[in-house]
Amino acid sequence: MSVALRGLASAGVKIFIIGAGQVGTTIVESLHKDAEHELTVIDLDRSRLDALSYHFDVRAIEGDGASRATLVEHGARGADLFIACTSRDEINIISGLLARNICPRAKTIVRTSNVEYLDVWRERVLEFDHMVSSEEETAHAISRSIGVPAAKMTDVFAEGQVQIVELDVDPAPAGTPAIAANVSVQDAALKAARKKVERRRRVIGVPLRDADLPAQSRVAGIIRGGREILPRGEEAVQPGDRIIVIGSPESAREWSGLMARGTRRVDDVVIFGAGRAGVAAARLLLRQGISVRLLESNPVRAAEVAAHLPQARVLVATGIDPDFLDRERIGETGAAVFTMRDDGKNLYAAMLAKLHGAPLTIAVAHEHVSVDVFEQAGVEVAIDPRSLTAEEIVRFAHDPRTRQVAMLEQDRYEVLDITVRSESELVDRPFRDLPMTGALIGAIIRNGSAIFPHSEDRLQPGDRVIIFTESSRVQEVERAL
Amino acid sequence: MTIARLSLRRAVRRRSLAVDVGAGLNLVGALIKWWALAFLFPTAIALGYGESPWPFLVAGVAAGTFGVALERATRGKERAGAREGFLVVSLVWLFVAFFGSLPYLLSGEDQLANPVDALFESMSGFTTTGSSVLTDIEGLSRSLAMWRQFTQWLGGMGIIVLFLAILPRLRVGGRQALFKTEAPGPELATFPATIRETAQRFIGLYVGLTVAEIAVLSLFAWTGIDERMSFFDAVAHAFTTIPTGGFSPDGRSLEEFGAASQWAIVPFMILGGTSFALLYLGIVRRRPVSFLRDDEFRVYLFLLSAASLLVLVDVATEEIASGEAAVRQAVFNTVSIFTTTGYANADFNQWTALTTFVLLGGMIVSASAGSTAGGIKLVRHVLIAKLLRREVHQTIHPELVAPVRLNGAPVDERALRAIVVFAFLYVGIVAAGALVILVDSARADVAVTPFQALAAAATTIASVGPGFGFAGPMGSFDPFSDVSKGAMITLMWLGRLEIIPVAVLFSRQYWRA
Repeated sequence: MSVALRGLASAGVKIFIIGAGQVGTTIVESLHKDAEHELTVIDLDRSRLDALSYHFDVRAIEGDGASRATLVEHGARGADLFIACTSRDEINIISGLLARNICPRAKTIVRTSNVEYLDVWRERVLEFDHMVSSEEETAHAISRSIGVPAAKMTDVFAEGQVQIVELDVDPAPAGTPAIAANVSVQDAALKAARKKVERRRRVIGVPLRDADLPAQSRVAGIIRGGREILPRGEEAVQPGDRIIVIGSPESAREWSGLMARGTRRVDDVVIFGAGRAGVAAARLLLRQGISVRLLESNPVRAAEVAAHLPQARVLVATGIDPDFLDRERIGETGAAVFTMRDDGKNLYAAMLAKLHGAPLTIAVAHEHVSVDVFEQAGVEVAIDPRSLTAEEIVRFAHDPRTRQVAMLEQDRYEVLDITVRSESELVDRPFRDLPMTGALIGAIIRNGSAIFPHSEDRLQPGDRVIIFTESSRVQEVERAL
Repeated sequence: MTIARLSLRRAVRRRSLAVDVGAGLNLVGALIKWWALAFLFPTAIALGYGESPWPFLVAGVAAGTFGVALERATRGKERAGAREGFLVVSLVWLFVAFFGSLPYLLSGEDQLANPVDALFESMSGFTTTGSSVLTDIEGLSRSLAMWRQFTQWLGGMGIIVLFLAILPRLRVGGRQALFKTEAPGPELATFPATIRETAQRFIGLYVGLTVAEIAVLSLFAWTGIDERMSFFDAVAHAFTTIPTGGFSPDGRSLEEFGAASQWAIVPFMILGGTSFALLYLGIVRRRPVSFLRDDEFRVYLFLLSAASLLVLVDVATEEIASGEAAVRQAVFNTVSIFTTTGYANADFNQWTALTTFVLLGGMIVSASAGSTAGGIKLVRHVLIAKLLRREVHQTIHPELVAPVRLNGAPVDERALRAIVVFAFLYVGIVAAGALVILVDSARADVAVTPFQALAAAATTIASVGPGFGFAGPMGSFDPFSDVSKGAMITLMWLGRLEIIPVAVLFSRQYWRA
């Protein structure tokens, strides 16, 4: 390679990605959009690389990502960002360690499925810039969904001060009671239901500027019939819409209560499948004081998990035995979570649990396509661990100013967390005068606390803003701020 | 000699035998040979008090010769393994009790002229039981009285554990098995240290506690706080407190000693009944929090307090004693029985049924595993209670998987099963022993009630000491017939070794390949 060429090549951001599986592909998908990014993907499997290079303009190299020779040969010395995201923990760690040595100034991101490695990393024994665990991302996603039961997807920003929720508005017209006029319903419950109906009437079908929306929240986007509608003041939330709300965690819960039927606080959860993801979720929920029942079909694994989680109740069961579900009153649970290995099994068990009356089902989809299948079938929340992992990695890989990125509706929309530069043209203009460009500022983090802006508020340099935007406009937004 | 050797070899060579009896006996011989040195201590005492040292010298030489002979007869068989462990431990304890009884017989002491009585006294000593057939303890010579105390101190330490700590020869395979066979309490965790280290720590603590008690009691003697106490008494009682033995050179046990000494002995009894592993952690490693974190220790303290309170109610309402004396009597006797020590500072035999039942309960409940106490051990009761609770939960949720936990860590299911089996076996043997004593006493015309027979069986197998009736704290086991005494000797032996090692010997599978 000539000196001139090398000089040219070094102009861009050199990114190395080890592993071209689902996670690797999702990362490539979101990083290749930036023309400055120069992507190199290394994988042992030729066919995966072929599939990848068919869709994206990347250097696809067949080889071992944990081999020093391979990495050096293909120019890892000049890397700016190194992502090891194969499905095997040990390969990722070795690959990451090699990268620390070959290209010390590159940022290294390593994927792991073992929470223990994550702890080791946090204790700074493994010196990577970032370490991401699919299991932990999944567990957090599950926990967030349980915190806001009606939500399709939720995510938190700014150390938990800002929450973004994607909700389906109950298709029943605003006037009908969420709980059918059942004679046996007790007075108190009926009163609560009436109150909820009243409140819904003041939100749904009313233009946003007049609607009595939960405090400290903004409607960031409305998706109606597959199309996004910008939530201008005259627009109204209609039954059957899918809406994206940015607000405080309290307001997120309030929204969730308004949009769904009979939502209550979840205080006990049944988790089907005590794999790593199931156990990670159980641990997280137990820490929040939620009681957890874990179902595991393998008695040996069940005993192992029972030994590690004294507070959880572990049961040896397949989860598809109707007698068992009946006897253990699975239908009475606040939420049923399905983290078994097999998507088909998860779906079947979720449907069965719904038949038994489970009010909220959350299922892990290992195949990307399963997310749609699950939602079509009526599973309230479908979680795809691999895209969660990719998302977390992309978050870190993005603009250094951009702290966090959430992807919504299969990557069509993104939520950014950007710090405003002082030279930005948008600084010090009141919100109502800001140009509407398909991006919406949902919240401002100023001096560590969250502000949910009104039309009079103005941006200040150094503010962190949480922005909802279409994926294609991300760079535009980043430039504007 | 040659004949014995030949026949032994023939026995060993029997094809169907799976246990290397020769190797086992070889180890037994080696242990007895070294153990014979223990007789030097009473010899010195006898010389010091101007008494005849011959009973001890002869017994020592006999034990030494026997050991050497046994070792020689089985030469070339120094490879005792885990399987021979049961045989070795069972036999060593039998031989030790036997040779330990020789000084009683040779001294010409009238009270112990009957070989069964001598063996009873010796077995009661080495197993740290504290039951006695003596009717006039003060009548013993000083050296014999001290030997009696010393047997409890030796027995409390454990015969095998001593050699594991000292003899390099025992560093061959099978040490774990030997150690575990002799160590009291269920096998719940793997040892964090080597056996040799564990044995050394145990003995270090044991000697340390004994010295501490001697120091405290002699201080009372010298400063005149307790005028009845002498240096001899201080050593004699320290020798039997730490191993929770209960022998006293005084016929009225601790009754006539000062209140200060009685109070001082209480914490030492409690320490003797505490797991030595826990003591090591809490005292030597200076982590006192571990006491509070230990499930068994918490139950131990709770039971001691609750039982003392119950007995105090009895003492107070029956106006047996008042004020400080009432509290002292209630606490001292309760702690003594629960820790399987067997001292008394009052004849609780005369108190009401409430005390009697609380104390009989104490004999069955007993103190911590891994201590010098006998009995079922608290940890087994704790685990059985937890097992029961789990059983209830599993009846409600048949698919429930819930490991039984001790100090937060799950307990192996096999260990749990062994604990339940042990408890059943234990209760069964107590019942059988009580029946033998009852029937035999009726035959021999000894006045024993069924309750007293039960107490006699429970007190001997749990290595407590005093029973009820004529065998009470101030009484003697002398009136029992030889058959009953024989049954009690067996119970003491079984109780010290926690039944299983002996039960193994009676299993056909043990002997066959």
